[in-house]
Amino acid sequence: MSHSLAQSITAPGGALRRSAAERAALWLGDRGTLVAGVALAVFVVGFSLLGPYIYTANPYAIHGRYALQGPSAAFPLGTDQIGRNELARLIAGGYATLIVSIPAALLTFMLGIVYGLAAALSPSWLDKVLMRVLDAILALPGLVVLIFFSALFTPGTFELILLLGLTSWPGLARIVRNEAISQRGRDFILATRQFGGGTWYIARVHILRVLAPILVVNATFLIGDSVLALSGLSFLGLGVQPPYTSWGGLLETGLNLIALDPWWMILPAGLMIFLAIMAANLIGQGLLARFGQAR
Amino acid sequence: MSIVLELDHLSVALKRGRGKPIAVLDDINLTVNAGEMTALVGESGSGKTIASLGVIRLLPRSAEIAGQVLLAGTDLTRLTESEMRRVRGRDIGMVFQNPLSALNPTTRVGNQIAEVYRLHTGETDRAARARALDLLGEVGIPDPADRLDDYPHQFSGGMRQRVMIAMALACSPKLLIADEPTTGLDLLVARQILALLSRLRHEHRMGVLFITHDLSIVEEHADQVHVLYAGKSVEWGTSRSFFAQPRHPYSQALLAAVPRLGQRRLASIPGNLPDPETRPPGCRFAPRCAFREPACEIDYPAPDAVGGTVFACRRAREISPAAMLDAVLEQPAAPPVVSHEAVLEVTLLGVDYERTATSFLQGVLGRKDKMRALDDISFTLNQGECLGIVGQSGSGKSTLGRAVLQMIPYHGHVILKGEAFDAMSRGQRKRARRQIQVVFQDPKESMNPRMRIGDIVAEPLKFTGLRGQRARWAAAAALLDRVGLSDQMMNLFPGSVSGGQAQRIAIARALATNPGIIVLDEPTSSLDVSTQALLLNLLKDLARQDGLSYMLISHDIAAVSYMADRIAVLNGGQMVEYGTAQDVLARPRNAYTRELIAASPHFRSHHLGEPSETLTYHLSTAQPSAVQTATAQTKEFNP
Amino acid sequence: MLRMITQRLATATLSLVILVTIVFFMTHATPGGPAFSILGQKATPAAVNALNQRLGLTAPLWLQYAIWWWHLLQGKLGYSYLLNRPVTQLIGDYMMNTLALYIGAILLALVLSIGLGLVQGVTYGRWPARLIGALQLSLYALPTFFVGTMFILYFGVKWPILPTGGISNLRIEHPGLLDYAHHLVLPILTVGLLGVAALSRYFGTSVHEELGKDYVRTALAKGLTFRAVLFRHVLRNALRPLVTILGLSFPGIFAGSVLVETVFNYPGLGYLLWRSALSQDYPVISAIVLLIGVLTVIGNLLADLVNGLLDPRERYE
Repeated sequence: MSHSLAQSITAPGGALRRSAAERAALWLGDRGTLVAGVALAVFVVGFSLLGPYIYTANPYAIHGRYALQGPSAAFPLGTDQIGRNELARLIAGGYATLIVSIPAALLTFMLGIVYGLAAALSPSWLDKVLMRVLDAILALPGLVVLIFFSALFTPGTFELILLLGLTSWPGLARIVRNEAISQRGRDFILATRQFGGGTWYIARVHILRVLAPILVVNATFLIGDSVLALSGLSFLGLGVQPPYTSWGGLLETGLNLIALDPWWMILPAGLMIFLAIMAANLIGQGLLARFGQAR
Repeated sequence: MSIVLELDHLSVALKRGRGKPIAVLDDINLTVNAGEMTALVGESGSGKTIASLGVIRLLPRSAEIAGQVLLAGTDLTRLTESEMRRVRGRDIGMVFQNPLSALNPTTRVGNQIAEVYRLHTGETDRAARARALDLLGEVGIPDPADRLDDYPHQFSGGMRQRVMIAMALACSPKLLIADEPTTGLDLLVARQILALLSRLRHEHRMGVLFITHDLSIVEEHADQVHVLYAGKSVEWGTSRSFFAQPRHPYSQALLAAVPRLGQRRLASIPGNLPDPETRPPGCRFAPRCAFREPACEIDYPAPDAVGGTVFACRRAREISPAAMLDAVLEQPAAPPVVSHEAVLEVTLLGVDYERTATSFLQGVLGRKDKMRALDDISFTLNQGECLGIVGQSGSGKSTLGRAVLQMIPYHGHVILKGEAFDAMSRGQRKRARRQIQVVFQDPKESMNPRMRIGDIVAEPLKFTGLRGQRARWAAAAALLDRVGLSDQMMNLFPGSVSGGQAQRIAIARALATNPGIIVLDEPTSSLDVSTQALLLNLLKDLARQDGLSYMLISHDIAAVSYMADRIAVLNGGQMVEYGTAQDVLARPRNAYTRELIAASPHFRSHHLGEPSETLTYHLSTAQPSAVQTATAQTKEFNP
Repeated sequence: MLRMITQRLATATLSLVILVTIVFFMTHATPGGPAFSILGQKATPAAVNALNQRLGLTAPLWLQYAIWWWHLLQGKLGYSYLLNRPVTQLIGDYMMNTLALYIGAILLALVLSIGLGLVQGVTYGRWPARLIGALQLSLYALPTFFVGTMFILYFGVKWPILPTGGISNLRIEHPGLLDYAHHLVLPILTVGLLGVAALSRYFGTSVHEELGKDYVRTALAKGLTFRAVLFRHVLRNALRPLVTILGLSFPGIFAGSVLVETVFNYPGLGYLLWRSALSQDYPVISAIVLLIGVLTVIGNLLADLVNGLLDPRERYE
């Protein structure tokens, strides 16, 4: 309580500023989150994308004699029900997950920005139409729409990227639109219009610049969301299709055999999903704190 | 006379995080007598709010308090927290700035008032409600019985502040602390609040500690004045002797910086208030003082007394008040060549605004109701002239500015140098708009926080056809120079400059397209008094050098009178008065204008150390003779 | 107040119309269309044509759209290919189960979130708040299906103390309420944790923001204790945004519960959706998609209205 009161008292008058030592401590504190996030991200991405070159065991080779065994020297994370190397599958699953999630997040990011900015800068009637449409789309959970479409056809990697990208943008679009709207009426935008800045110029030079921190933070969150959505879909058997595997798919196999207590088939895959999302969220959180201070 | 509150060598140091405590308030001595009002005056950052929160001990836990706070003889700094809680609300009532946020938005005002009464008296709900009703009546809320169950947002600004006062009075406290209670209120309303506080303190024999940045508002009502600068007392004494002749260079400048009706020069103080971390070791005002000597920068001067006030300045004795004033009064540039050519004509201008619809069908279709915000406005602005637009909040004055700037749709005609905007093509219109620039109230709001100041000032030049980043930055440096800023500032972001500097940057940017007209929308109301004076003087000089025309929108008729050649008074979307500044001020035809003039601070000779007989305005009537005398007299300053 | 209600009703209605239209186009204008999904990708053109004739899919799109609305307003959502029951009837049972899970989870999430959020808001910037912040971040990153699977592994396999599937014990003739409750424990806990991650953070921030407002200082200056200020003044104002968030988070929490229902074989809408998707039971899928959308719109409308009731500024608009 005392802390918040202190802020409320001293902030308006600017009577107090933080000392250099404190600023450094705060910066390090934020950076702690950021550093942890980046370290995790390096691990997750390195594991999934470089893993196949370092640990070269074949994830599809069947070792019938060693089916469903716990971790051993030959199989560091055990084997599955038909004797495939779980560590190799975890790496392959990571590759399949990230190769879809990251481009999909990028697609989402661009669609969200375009739709949000278009709505914010349109005449008010068009903005209203676009927003009602957005409301309606937002009323449908992304996963449900994903399930709907994956039931239509069997998606490959490219289709999955499109599917994820095309269904996940409404959330970001709403954030971008609301933020842009709140900037649109600000005095510096009015001043820019007064000396001749057009709508496109204002969007490009002013609104995107002011929104940049929010966009960067959301971009990182989007990657996390994308990993989660793809893993969920694959867990339901509707995402990455066999013989390829993914973290979600590995978990599903584990669940199907759960009565046999195969913890090595469940825990590593679940942890990898957790770490991937955690990395994205930590980076986002760290950036948010730093940008928040910069304002 | 019994003393209600005595601050005895009170110092407050605040600590943030693990840093060292920083003294924000240093060795303050102050008394409030029963039934009297002591005004604690200081600009933002002077520590005045810390003082008030120090008295009721609502400072952050890390705050270190030294010295004594004696309330009717009891030292509050020695009380336990639970003893202190019994003092708050019962013995000391608090009224804060901005009552809309200081009242709980989701609780009925009657309950908010009753809460404090019940807490300290243990009375029943019914008795507390009756008390709340009485109080609302006492503070002058019409039909109190009907308003008891209303929420804060249903009251107007002034009425909300009355509710705050009722709440503070609930337990008949010995002391009322009012922390900037009139800031943000329209002048007329502010005056009423002050009159109310004055009446209440007499009736209840209650001491009032009135904290404000605005010297002019306490002139009539305060018994004692205490001026703070950067956490230190600089001058204090009875109100009568202080206003008759302030002695400290800072208080003199502060007093002469307040725009008053009839004033032709404003005092300004160069530089900025120091941060608590960087306060100079000696006299804190020394770096900004024209009379500093080496000794001033070594240690804080001992209090000295001449006349009726005590002041902390080692040179005030030797230097005559008149000489001190001369050092701070700015000499305006030579008057411009006014061509009396109309640059802007507005005829029969009206603006409608939309209200959200009431019916289901309208809601589906997104239809809105139309309301009239502005009606039948006509005026002319000549080259080199300043037109003052005066009105309360909600009078439509900002709307008028935006219509002239072509920011909102309107009907009627806005004619720029003989060409009507409504008859122009799109391209012509875009070019013509560039001729009218704008300076907003909040300078930081008017700049992109993520752009460098050099880019901000240079940006309009992109549209005037000036090619090349380097050329634009050079031009921007020249613009900054014109508003008195160094080009070293160009690499900074708006977040790291002071409010006054930011407003200068905004002016520099407005000048970039070389406009004939600048609309100034409350350009100084977010600034401290001394900064405001500096800015008004700058604007005046710029107009005189370049023959710029201004439309100055303000709620402060005194500030307008300092700048304007013509004045238009708006009330409820109508132009109720329009004429030359002299005519409007001397012979106001409209009752509302007369009220505004009467409520404004007036020019008094002693503020400038002149003989007083001829220069005094006659307050309520504002007789023509007096105004003419005033104008005649002040001409002496412009040889 | 009346103005606010009409306004919100109008927007919600508009959203519903758009929603129905979107779902119509999702089902009727996707490549291949329903016939393909019913008959499979390798269906002969003749078979597809025949089916299209039967389902009225050869009519012009606008007519199909009108018929779609006409059926919808009568509550006709078609027949499940798989179970050969009217979709409306089928969905009813599953929806009740989902509502039981959802309401239980939301209540759990609310109780935990309010507790955690209060502590977080009050101790903002100090270690308890930081600890709670780290907890929220972790919960947020934990996929529900992983949590659910781990629950089953520990409470169903390693220490079998709780049922891990279905909604009742199939071996009991007339399962009592207690049996249902027993089966609900793990699913509710799983969905509830997801809710806590989303809600407690908002609530904590909201408490912190409210504590920084001027009226808190006023209340303290009246002589109230901090506890009284917190519970009499701050809590109510901080709860208001939570209602909106609750409305907005419905789709997210439902998406989570699709996975949770699948993990626990819990016969709710999510489970039904999954089964239907695997077997391409088209009418059921589109009906569920539509239903979820409608429920969300109604949920948001309710949240808005409750919010209006809680906030006098909106009530007297």
